[in-house]
Amino acid sequence: MKIVASDIDDLALGAVFLATGGGGDPYLPALIAKQTLVQTDGVTLIAPEALRDEDFVVPIGGVGAPTVSLELLPSVDEASQVLDRYERLMGRSIAAVASFEIGGGNSLMPLMAAAVRGVPVVDGDGMGRAFPEAQMMSYAIAGVTPTPALAMDYAGNTATFETADTVTYEHHIRAFAAAAGGMITVAEHPMSGAELKASVISGTVSFSLKLGQLLRKQRGPINQLMPALRALFNESVYGAIHQIFSGKVASISTRTVGGYDVGDLSIQDFHDPNAVCSITIKNEYLVAMVDGRPLAMVPDLIVIVDAETAAPINAERLHYGQRVAVLAIGAPEFYQTPQALAATQPRCFGIDLDYQALAELVPSDN
Amino acid sequence: MRIGLDVGGTHTDAVLMDGTTVVARTKATTTADVASGIEAALRVILAECDPAAVDLLTIGTTQFTNAVIERKQLSKVAAVRVCLPAGRGLMPRSDWPEDLVKSTDGGSYLLHGGHLYDGRELAPLDDAEVTALIRSLNDAKPAAVIVSCAFSPTQPALEMALVDRLRAALPDTPICPSHQIGGLGLIERENAAILNAALLAFADRVANAFTGSSSRLGLRCPVYVSQNDGTLITLERLRHYPALTFASGPTNSIRGAWALTGLSDAIVIDIGGTTSDIGVLKNGFPRQSNLVIDVGGIRTNFRMPDVLATGLGGGSLVSDDGRTCGPQSVARELRQKALCFGGDVMTLTDIAVSRGRLAISDAAVTSPVTEALCDIVDETILAKLNAAVDQMKPGGAILPVILVGGGAALVPGDNLAGCPIVRPDNADVANAIGASIAQVSGEAEMLHVASKQSRSEVVELVTARAETAAVSAGAAADTLSTINVEALDIPYMAAETTRIRVTVVGDLDDPSKRAS
Repeated sequence: MKIVASDIDDLALGAVFLATGGGGDPYLPALIAKQTLVQTDGVTLIAPEALRDEDFVVPIGGVGAPTVSLELLPSVDEASQVLDRYERLMGRSIAAVASFEIGGGNSLMPLMAAAVRGVPVVDGDGMGRAFPEAQMMSYAIAGVTPTPALAMDYAGNTATFETADTVTYEHHIRAFAAAAGGMITVAEHPMSGAELKASVISGTVSFSLKLGQLLRKQRGPINQLMPALRALFNESVYGAIHQIFSGKVASISTRTVGGYDVGDLSIQDFHDPNAVCSITIKNEYLVAMVDGRPLAMVPDLIVIVDAETAAPINAERLHYGQRVAVLAIGAPEFYQTPQALAATQPRCFGIDLDYQALAELVPSDN
Repeated sequence: MRIGLDVGGTHTDAVLMDGTTVVARTKATTTADVASGIEAALRVILAECDPAAVDLLTIGTTQFTNAVIERKQLSKVAAVRVCLPAGRGLMPRSDWPEDLVKSTDGGSYLLHGGHLYDGRELAPLDDAEVTALIRSLNDAKPAAVIVSCAFSPTQPALEMALVDRLRAALPDTPICPSHQIGGLGLIERENAAILNAALLAFADRVANAFTGSSSRLGLRCPVYVSQNDGTLITLERLRHYPALTFASGPTNSIRGAWALTGLSDAIVIDIGGTTSDIGVLKNGFPRQSNLVIDVGGIRTNFRMPDVLATGLGGGSLVSDDGRTCGPQSVARELRQKALCFGGDVMTLTDIAVSRGRLAISDAAVTSPVTEALCDIVDETILAKLNAAVDQMKPGGAILPVILVGGGAALVPGDNLAGCPIVRPDNADVANAIGASIAQVSGEAEMLHVASKQSRSEVVELVTARAETAAVSAGAAADTLSTINVEALDIPYMAAETTRIRVTVVGDLDDPSKRAS
C-alpha cells in the first residue's frame, strides 16, 4: 500500500483522535508531509509481517516542545539526515522506518523521512496512541533498548546516547532537547525485524487513515457516527469503543508542571447537572470518573470529541461550555499484559488507582 | 465632540458623540468607492453641528478585510525569512490559495540568523547573504518587503538589524518587520506580515481618501482608525499596519456595547442579518482569541476578538414547523422575500414583527405568523442562543448579556443562559459608537523561563515595552493602565516556560487641545 499526499489530512485527523488529548497540533507536520509526498510520489507502507527477521528497523520521531517547532519548523532534511547518520553509527542499512507514536504530529515524521530515503515505513507504531515517555513505548516494554540512539538539532549538531536503562535515556534525551533549541529529531530503539514484530502495535497507520476518512466523510453528531466507529474499531488491533459520557465542559484547569500539561476537566451531563464526569489530564486524558467511580483509565484510550461534529478535541483546545462526548476504547492487547501495565497504568502517572480494564468498567451493551 | 464612523459591507453608520451622549446618528448605504458613502453620512451628522466643534473623527472600516477576501488592491511582497539553518521545512506562502499567491508573490528568500526559545542566537546574520539579498531585491523591485526572523516576537533585535540595513539600501520600498504584526508561530506571523505588506499601497489610497473626505466637509480635526483590539491608530499608522483593522467590525460592536452600558465585563451579542456574533467584554475590551485566525483562506496569528458566530439574524429562514432557524438567510433580500414585506419566505424578522417586538413602518403584513408558531420559534431561538452564550461565558460566570445590532429585537425574553439581558438605546449604531472611543493601546510579549528570572521581573519588563508602544501610538503617558496580563504555559518544555503578554491602554493624548 502506498501513502500519498492526498491521504495526509485524513491521517492527521485520525492521529489527533488517537492522541487521546495530547500530541500537539499536526498542522505543520501535515503540511510538510504533503509537500514531501508530492515530491517523492508517496511512500510505501508495509505490514510488520512483510519484514524479514534479520532486517534492520529504526523508529524515528521528534522529542521536545511542539511550540518550538512553530518557530523553527519541522524539517524533512533533518529527519532524513538522522537516518543517514544513524546508518553510519550502526554500520547497517535501514530496511524500514517505524514510528514512536501514532497520536499527533509524530505519526507523520517517519512517513516523510522514509519517503525521502526511498525506504518503506512500517504499518504500526510503538504506542497505538500518545504517551509522554520513552519507557511507555511498546518497543521498550518488550525489552528493546533505546540505545544506541542518535539525536540531531536544527543546525545539524548530533549527540549519540548509550545509557544503562530507558528511564536514564529519557532524562538525557530531554536534557539534550532543552539544550539544543527545544526540539530534536531522534532515531532510537534499533530493532531486528523479529523484534519489531514482537513489539509493534500493528496496523495503526492504515487504521488511523481509515479513521480519519470516516471522521471526515461522516462528520456529524457523534450518536450517528457511533455504529460506524464501532464497526471500524471491532476490526482493529484495539478493543471495543464505547461512548461513556456526554455533556458540556463545566470546568477545565491545566498548568505546566515539569514539562507536562497537568490538570482536571469536568463535564456536566446535558440533562442531569448532578451527573459529572471528571477527567485527569497529564498531556493526555488519563482517567475518567463519574461519582468517584472510574469509567475508563490509561492505557485504555480516552478520547473527547465535539458532540455535534465528532471532531476530536485535544486538551489545549478544551474550553468551558463546549458540547462534547467522551469515548473510551480498549487498549491493544499488548498493553493489557502485566509488563505493559507496569509501565503505563495510572500509578505510573502518579494516580493512586489500580488498573481496571475498560471491558470490566462499562456494560457490554455495544 | 467626536464623530464615529463604521464602514460595513452594507451600511456606513455615523454618530456624533458629546462625551457619552449620542447627539446625532445616521445610517447611509456603503458605496463602491466608500468615500461618497462616508461623505453622505458625514453630511447628515454635520447638519447638526459646526465642523469646528468636532475634535476627533474615528473610522472603523472593513475595506482591508474585503480586499483580501476579494483579492483586490493587493501588491507584490518579497518575503525574507531569517531562520537558517532551521526553518527550511516550508517556503513562505505554502498552503495559500493559488490566486492569493499570484496576487502577492514578490519572491521568497531564506537567510541565516534568528534566535532560540531561550534567547540564544540561532545563527548570526551573514553579510554576504545580506548583500546578495539587496542585489536581488534591487533587481526584482517588489512593492514591499517583509522580514520574519525565528523568535522575533521575543527577541526583535536581529530582525530589526536586517530591517535597518534593507531600509538604508532600498529607501523607497516599505520594509516590514514581522514581530510588529504577529506573535509566536513563524508561518502564521509571516503570513500576517505578507498580507499586511500587500495592502500598504491600498492603505495609502484609503488614508488619503479619509483625509480628503474630512477636509472637503470642513473638518479640521485629526482622523483615527479603529483596530482589532478596540483602540485607535493614526492614519499614519494605518499606512503601515492596515491589517490591524481586519476585525474592526465585531470589535467596534463589542466596544460600543461597553460605551452604551458602562458594563466592563459582559457578554455582547451583535445581531445582524445573517449571524449573531457573540463576544465577551473583559475590562471594557473584547476578550482576545488565542487560536489561529483564518483570513481569506490564510492562517494568521493576528490578535482578534474571540467571537462565536451563530447562524441567527433578521434574514434567517424559519422552517414550517418553527424548529429550525438559520443558518440559511435571505440576507440582503429581506425586503423582497420576507412575509412581512409581501414575500413568501418566513424569516426571523416576520416572527419579531408578528410578536410586536419589531415595528417596521412600511411592512405590508403586520402579523404574518400565527401565535402558536411564534411560541415554537421563540423556543428555538432561545435554545440556540442559550447554548452559544453558555459556551462564551468566562468559566460559567453569570454576566449581563448586552444585545446590539439591527436585529437586537429578534431575541425574546429577559435572560439567556441564566444571564440577564440588557437592551441599551442606540443599540443599532453600537458599532459606530464603538469606533468613536478615543483610546489607544500598546502590547508586548516575551518567553519567561522560570529558572532564569522571576516572573515579576519579566512582567515588569514586558509592561515597560507595552507602555512605550502605547505612548508611541499616541497615548497620554499619565493615563496608561494595564488591561491584560496573560500567561500561557508552554507544554513539553523541560524548564518551565511561560509566554507573558501585556496590553496597556491609555486615553488619546487630548485631541481637543490640538483643535483649540
